[in-house]
Amino acid sequence: MIIKQFLSERLPLTEFSAHLRKPLPKHINLLFSLGSLAMFLLLLQAATGAFLALYYSPSPEHAHNAVTYISEEVPFGAFVRGLHHWGASAMVIIVFLHLLRVVLYGSYKAPRELTWIFGVLLLLVVLGFGFTGYLLPWDEKAYWATVVGVEIASTAPILGDFVAKVLRGGAEIGAVTLSRFYALHTIWLPWLAFGLVGVHLFFVRYYGSSGTPQNTPEEMKTGKPFYPDQVFEDVVGMLILFAVLASVALFLPVPLEDVADPTNADYDPRPEWYFLFLFQLLKYFQGPLEIIGTFVIPTVGMVLLLLLPFLDKSERVVLWKRPIALTVTSVCVVAIVGLTILGASSPKLETQEASQPTAETDSTVSPDTETEAVEEGEKVFDFQLTEEEIEGTEEGEEVFDFQLTEEELQ
Amino acid sequence: MEKQGNRRSFLEIATAFIGGVLSLAAGIPLIGFAISPAFKKGESKWVDLGLADRLKNSRFKKVDYTFTAKDGWVKATKKRSVYVTDAGAGEWNVFSRTCSHLGCLVRWDEKQESFLCPCHGAIFDQTGAVVAGPPPEPLQKLETKVEAGILYVKET
Repeated sequence: MIIKQFLSERLPLTEFSAHLRKPLPKHINLLFSLGSLAMFLLLLQAATGAFLALYYSPSPEHAHNAVTYISEEVPFGAFVRGLHHWGASAMVIIVFLHLLRVVLYGSYKAPRELTWIFGVLLLLVVLGFGFTGYLLPWDEKAYWATVVGVEIASTAPILGDFVAKVLRGGAEIGAVTLSRFYALHTIWLPWLAFGLVGVHLFFVRYYGSSGTPQNTPEEMKTGKPFYPDQVFEDVVGMLILFAVLASVALFLPVPLEDVADPTNADYDPRPEWYFLFLFQLLKYFQGPLEIIGTFVIPTVGMVLLLLLPFLDKSERVVLWKRPIALTVTSVCVVAIVGLTILGASSPKLETQEASQPTAETDSTVSPDTETEAVEEGEKVFDFQLTEEEIEGTEEGEEVFDFQLTEEELQ
Repeated sequence: MEKQGNRRSFLEIATAFIGGVLSLAAGIPLIGFAISPAFKKGESKWVDLGLADRLKNSRFKKVDYTFTAKDGWVKATKKRSVYVTDAGAGEWNVFSRTCSHLGCLVRWDEKQESFLCPCHGAIFDQTGAVVAGPPPEPLQKLETKVEAGILYVKET
């Protein structure tokens, strides 16, 4: 009581409480909890990510081992990583459904255009989290998905090559890339996300919930209060979502493939499921038309999505009474789902190596002098130690230096 | 009153100006810091694939090789993979395995006599030319030389 009085004398608690208890529109349903669920997932990702960072090391020589260590040796490690991994997938699904709900009820229409624009920017940030996050385990999938992703960026006109080099931190994927992606994933994007969420939420509260289109102007402020009624429903939704995620994290181990190998002849690169539609789309634009799949369609699609409130100024009624919007939305959803299914069912490539006329039978020739540029006695910094190398190291033997001397760097 | 208004207008403009100067003074070096790797020029160098005799009569033979290169603050062992064909008369055809579409590794298929990409379905013929799929360019053919019996490729 004393604390409450202390705070009441210094802060506008009464006004804040009244604001929280403001009534929502009369007609509102469970779909209006999707935004809160997305917010919950963002916080869960931030929390699990912050804890994973306690053990993770963003360098090619340590990243894969660190993730293996988290998954296999740290108590609750597999569970925390599972929550983070499956939480990312859940985030994409929830954000997509939230966007569909907003389109379905025409909630993006005036005066809520800014709420929509910041929401679409948040969708881009969520995809950015996905792209930067899955390089971090430094396994085959991580490496090749990033190779392809950055190459896609490089096809953009004029600045493409420059953007790709900035993303990689050089000409190819390596230590600098991993360090960059880790910084983007854990510092840049979270700051951006929380900033955008702050603005998005401000607009949501400022303009109030849109409710379903069936609300008359009089019914816009005659529904249940936001707190505690709506908040309770949101919290129950969060509990159910967490229970599902926790169950998946407990019973479905997060995949970790072999350590990234830029020469692996047998690996068929595939992106995470939420980028499979793009993976599939790229197959259809050949030769000089390549740029249509890699740049034109994604860019135009995003610009149109951002400008949606200004392109569709029809009356605010449910989607099935807006034939053009209904057709466009249906085509987009069917295309994305269809391409995702096609991408997921892409057959693996089976090839037959050339038989060699020489006596040599092994398909791989080890060069006689493995690395011409390496001088005698020079230490080579390999990206990953094999288990045999770790176990076979005798006590006191120096496997590799963590630090190069100035002479070595020169 | 008008004097007061002029003073306020001046303060608004001056505040915006100082804000702009501060943003530029901090922003330019920070942006330069972040994008500097894009301006570094890559170096090309000759890397050996082994004794030419050992690769004699090879036909689309997959050869993995390593070389050291500076990767940021580390001197890293980089791995590469190529297909080597002995074209006779001291000529060698060495193709990079990097697909010219989006960077996946192509594989030689003896049955189809073609290079196949496992990502987006690209097919290249024996000369590296695009036969099907999305790549806008042929496979990269690497420059070669033989010195002291050792086959070298130019790594770019």
